[in-house]
Amino acid sequence: MDTIETLIPEDSGSAPALEPMAMVALDAGRMLMEAGASANGVDEIVAKFARGLGADRVDLRIGYASLAITIGIGPNGITRMREVGHLGVNQRLDQELWRLADRVSRGELTTEQARAGLTRLATKTPRHSAWVMAVAVGLACAAFGRLLGVDWLGTGPVFLAAGLGQFVRRELLKRHVNVFICATLVSFLSSLLGGFGARWAGSGKIDMAMIASILLLVPGIPSVNAQNDILEGHPTLGSARAVTVAVILIFAAAGLWFGQALLAGWH
Amino acid sequence: MNFSFLLHQTICGAIAAAGFGVLFNIGFRSLPWCAASGAVALAVRTYCLAQGWNLEAASFAAALTVGAAVQVLRARTDISQNALDVTGCIPMVPGSFAAKAILGMFALTSSSTTDASETLITAVQFALRVTFTIGAIGTGLAIPTLLLRVRVTR
Repeated sequence: MDTIETLIPEDSGSAPALEPMAMVALDAGRMLMEAGASANGVDEIVAKFARGLGADRVDLRIGYASLAITIGIGPNGITRMREVGHLGVNQRLDQELWRLADRVSRGELTTEQARAGLTRLATKTPRHSAWVMAVAVGLACAAFGRLLGVDWLGTGPVFLAAGLGQFVRRELLKRHVNVFICATLVSFLSSLLGGFGARWAGSGKIDMAMIASILLLVPGIPSVNAQNDILEGHPTLGSARAVTVAVILIFAAAGLWFGQALLAGWH
Repeated sequence: MNFSFLLHQTICGAIAAAGFGVLFNIGFRSLPWCAASGAVALAVRTYCLAQGWNLEAASFAAALTVGAAVQVLRARTDISQNALDVTGCIPMVPGSFAAKAILGMFALTSSSTTDASETLITAVQFALRVTFTIGAIGTGLAIPTLLLRVRVTR
């Protein structure tokens, strides 16, 4: 017998199907990542799912746009990869995924039940309505404006401009418009409206009102995640996130620049 | 220090954090925790700034406080720790500095720029302040998490 053959264990044929187990664990990780989790969270939830479903060994590679897992039971092993979609933020989904992971890790669910649970979470987890989000984001940006020194006359226009910007952003993303183009369009619209409104209201802080109107576009969670990932030993993912954050900021600033140029030329 | 100014900043921090909590799809029942987190962050940062600290140091102290408070309270909140501390620190992310830095870079390419070196220095200063402030917030949040992390239930 060749030496190399001794390294390849024989398939005992008794291990449960590794393929569905790997794909369910990967799906849990993918959903958590798309809900805005950092790399350590993704690592932890995939391990909980895989071990809860019966895996002895779990190794995960986390990329910006894909996850790859190797799981094994006894002498059997399998490696699979899964594409990761747009990285947004959805904390209720995050919370529900951890609850499901706890049940899986206690051995309460089979692979099929876990898969059904993930499908249910993907389709049934509630989201705030577009109007609630628009009002909330408008209020948040108005508060940001006050923190930046915008006077009370400029605060109302910031509220309206940011609220409308959020509404438009949600509609654009629903239509799968590129996130960077979306940032420029929303930034242009919100800054222009905020600037016009502040000027009309007689505010003395028109420039700051325009900036406050686009703060909904600042990717706060990705920027904190980028640093966390680097600190926690995932420099590749952290760097990819940081570059994405920087490009979004550049595109948003381009929209603001267009808005300022148009407002300056409009008397 | 001026108490009414501290109160104003605290309330604005709470509103901004709660508003972003809605954007991050946090449930209505958990929003008061987000608001409290934002309020603590802005209160600490405002107090530290009033004591003469620079923005980066004040942001670090605020993030450290929020991170530690969230670690202590996490069992009571029924909300993921990541969501709560990051949402609380969102009002401290220096988005306006980032916009000014990039607009300054844009202005450098304009033929009508009168004082290019001053524009460049200002833009670089804003960019550095953004980098250091985000670094301070991230580090402030990471330290309690790494030191006090209790892996029980999430």
